[in-house]
Amino acid sequence: MAAVSVSPAETRRASKAENLAGKYLTFSLGREEFAIQVLKVREIMGVEEITAVPQTPPYVKGVINLRGKVIPVVDLRLKFKLPELEYTQRTCIVVVQISMGTSVLPMGIIVDSVSEVLNLAPADIENTPDFGAGVTLPYVMGMAKIKGKVKILLDIDHVMTAQDLEGLEEIFNA
Amino acid sequence: MGPGRSELERLIESVALELVVGSAVSDRADRIGEMLSALADQARAAGFSSLTEAVEEMQGALRPSETQDWDDVERKLKDGIARLRQALEQSEAAPKTTSQNQLAEDPELIADFVLESQEHLVSIESQLLILEQDPGNAEAIHSVFRSFHTIKGLAGFLELTEIRDVAHELETVLDLARSGQLTITPAVIDVALACADFLKQWVERLQAPSGERHLIAVPPSAPLIQQILALRSKDPVAAQAPEAAAANGTVAPVEVREQAEAERRRARTGEARMVKVDTGKLDLLVDMVGEMVIAQSLVRHDPDLAQLRTPRLLRNLAQLSRTTTELQKTAMSMRMVPVGQLFQKMARLTRDLARKSGKQAQLETIGEETELDRNLVEEIADPLMHMVRNSVDHGIEPPEERIAAGKPPVGRILLKASHQAGHIVIELSDDGRGLNKQKILAKAREKGLLDGGVPETDSEIYNLIFQPGFSTADRVTDVSGRGVGMDVVRKQIQKLRGRIDIRSQEGQGATFSFKLPLTLAIIDGLVVRVGKERYIVPLYSVREVLRPGPDTISTVENRAEMALIRDHLLPVIRLYERFNVEPLSKDPCQCVLIVVEINGKAFGLLVDELSGKQEVVIKSLGETMKDIPGIAGGAILGDGRVGLVLDVVGIVGSHWEVAANA
Repeated sequence: MAAVSVSPAETRRASKAENLAGKYLTFSLGREEFAIQVLKVREIMGVEEITAVPQTPPYVKGVINLRGKVIPVVDLRLKFKLPELEYTQRTCIVVVQISMGTSVLPMGIIVDSVSEVLNLAPADIENTPDFGAGVTLPYVMGMAKIKGKVKILLDIDHVMTAQDLEGLEEIFNA
Repeated sequence: MGPGRSELERLIESVALELVVGSAVSDRADRIGEMLSALADQARAAGFSSLTEAVEEMQGALRPSETQDWDDVERKLKDGIARLRQALEQSEAAPKTTSQNQLAEDPELIADFVLESQEHLVSIESQLLILEQDPGNAEAIHSVFRSFHTIKGLAGFLELTEIRDVAHELETVLDLARSGQLTITPAVIDVALACADFLKQWVERLQAPSGERHLIAVPPSAPLIQQILALRSKDPVAAQAPEAAAANGTVAPVEVREQAEAERRRARTGEARMVKVDTGKLDLLVDMVGEMVIAQSLVRHDPDLAQLRTPRLLRNLAQLSRTTTELQKTAMSMRMVPVGQLFQKMARLTRDLARKSGKQAQLETIGEETELDRNLVEEIADPLMHMVRNSVDHGIEPPEERIAAGKPPVGRILLKASHQAGHIVIELSDDGRGLNKQKILAKAREKGLLDGGVPETDSEIYNLIFQPGFSTADRVTDVSGRGVGMDVVRKQIQKLRGRIDIRSQEGQGATFSFKLPLTLAIIDGLVVRVGKERYIVPLYSVREVLRPGPDTISTVENRAEMALIRDHLLPVIRLYERFNVEPLSKDPCQCVLIVVEINGKAFGLLVDELSGKQEVVIKSLGETMKDIPGIAGGAILGDGRVGLVLDVVGIVGSHWEVAANA
C-alpha cells in the first residue's frame, strides 16, 4: 500500500504526471470512462443481492457479505447524480480500499461495466482542464488520453469521503 | 563512531605526550587547556559521556587558583589520562552499545517488553496484596522479587534506565526481605505498589507510537527511589547492607542480564502451552469459520447433491457438518478469557479505597476462572469499579461502628462469578450497612422521583437508586457520591444486554448481581421479514409474538397506534414505515406483532412474517454506517446474505421522540 499512501491533497499539489503514472483499472459510467489506481482495488464481483440499510443517502445501496465481513456498497452513478440504471450482467461491484484518516476500509462501488487494466505513462497524463470559474473537481486527479479517448483519473478516497459531489455534472454536460 | 574514536585516541595521546615530555606543567597550562577543550568537544560530539566527565574533571584541576600546587595538578592530569585511556578501551564495546541502541528502538522488542511487563505487573500486584495479608509468605516475596528482577533485566537490555533503576532499587529491598533482614511492613507494600504504578505508567508510555511517546507524561523516578532508599535505611538490620547491595548491582550488569534471560526461559517453559495471538487474526478466523459453516450448509442442501443421496455421501456430509460445528465452537471459545484479572484489579482498588477512607475492607473472590468474552471484560471494568467504590464508601462502616454492631472490624466484600444458562453472573456482596429503604424513599421524594407513584416492593425501591441524579450519600467524597454513577452503571450494563438486581438486608449488607451474556459477538435472534428485507430482533428483548386479530390494533387520535393485549395498551410501530420499505401487506391481520420490552416498557413491532430463530454473530457495518438509529449492526444469515440486527432501544427511542414532537 506504500505507493498509495500519498494523501489526496499532496497528490493534487504535486500534480505531476510522474506521480500519477502506473496501472489503472478503467470502468465506464454512462458515456464516460473512469480510471482508479489498481492498488486501490481489492476485487471485482458481479452484483449480488444487496441488503438495504434504512436512513442512508440514496446512493448507498446497502451492505453485502464479503467473505464474512459486512461491507457497504455505493452506487457510483447515484453518487455522481447520474440517472439510475437497471443492473445488468455487465454491472460490477468493484471492491476498493478507501483510506479514511489512518484506517483503510473496504467498500464496494457499483459501476456500469469494467473495461480493462491500463498502464499509463507520464506522457499520457494531463492536468485537469480548467472548466472555468466555480467548477472545482477535487476528486479528479487528472485526465489520461489513450487512443484518442479520455479517461478521468478518479481520486476514489476523495469521492467516497466527500459529502456532496457538485461539479462532476459539468463534465457530463460538457 | 569509528573515525570519532581514532580522533579521540589521537587527542588523548597528544595530551599524554605533552604531560610526559617537556618541562614543568605550569608553563604549558594554557596549551594543555586548549588541547583538553578540543578533546572535550570531540568527546561530546561522539556522545562519550564517560570521557566528557573525565575531561571536565581535568579541566577543573587545571583551572588557575591562588594556591596552585602544580605537582598535584600534574598528578591529577596523569590520573585523568589513565581514566581517559580506560574509558576509551571500554568503549571498544562501542559497536555493541550502538547495536543496543538500535535494539532499544526495535518496535517488536518494545512490544514484547510491554506485554511481558504487563503480565509481571499484574502478578506483582496480586502477590503484594497477598503479602500484605501475610507478611511472612516467602513464596509471595520470591514471586514479587522475580517479577521485578525480570522487568529490571529486560529494561536494562532495552536501555530504559528509569524503569531499570526503580526496579533495581526495589529489588534490593525485596532481596533484603527475602533473606530476612527486612520485615515487610505496610509501608513497604505501599512503596512497592507505588513502584508497580510507576512502571505501569512507563509501560503505557512505551505502548504509544514512538513519535508520540514524549507526549505522555510520566513521573520522575527520583522521588520514588528516595522512598525506596528510605525503606532500607530505616531498617536497623539492613543499615550496613545497602552499600554492598548497590555495589553488586553496578558491578554485575552482565550477570543480571543473564539472570533475566534465565528468568525469561523459565517463564517461557511455564507458558509453553499458551500462544499469544493478535486479536485481529482471531476475528478473521471467526469470520472465516462463519463463512465455512454457510458454505457447508449450502453444499448440504444443494438440490443436485440431494438427488444423489448415497449412504457414503450422507455419511461424509454429516461428518463435515459435525467438524464445522466443532470448529466454530472452538473459534468462538478462543475469544474467552477468565475473569480473574478483572477481579484482581478490584482487589487493589478495595485496598486503596479502604486506606483512603480509613476503613478496613478485604476483598474475597470466587470463580476467578469463569470465562467471558474479552471485549466484555473491558466493558464491565468501569461499572464494576463503580460498584466496588460504592461498597467501600457507602456499604462498609468504619471499624468502630462495625464493632458496635457486633461485626468484625474488617469489612468483607465478596466478588463471585459463575455461569448460568448461557450467561455470566457477577455478584458483588458486602457485609456493610445495607440499603436503607426509608432513606432511599425520602431521597427519591426530595428529588421528585416519586411523582409516578410510590413503589411497593423492595426491589422497586432499590431500583430507585438507578435513577439519574439520585445519590444517597450525605456528603460528597472523592471516592463516590457525586450523584452520577448508578444510572451510568445501569446504562452501561443494559448496553451490554445485561441486567442488575439488588438484594439487601438492612444492617447485614447488600448484594448487587450483574447478569450478562457471555459474549457481545453472538446473539440469539428472531429473524423477521419485512417485504424482501430480513431483520434480526435480539431475542432477549422479545416478550411474545402474536398474530393480531381485527380488534387488536386501534388508532389513538388518528395518530399513534395502540395494541390491546391482555388488557394492556402498547404503542405499535410498523417497521416498514419506520424503515421506509415496501411490505407484503399493510393489513395488521396479515402481519405478525412482536412484543418487545425495553427498560421495563413494552411496545409492539409490526412485521410481515417470522422466518425463524437463529444464533448470529453481530458485525459492525463499518465506519461509515455505525450510527444509524435503530440498527445495531449486521449479521450473516444462513444463506450468506446480510441481515440487519435491530437496535430496539434506538427504534423505540426515535419513535417516542417523533411522537413527542408531533
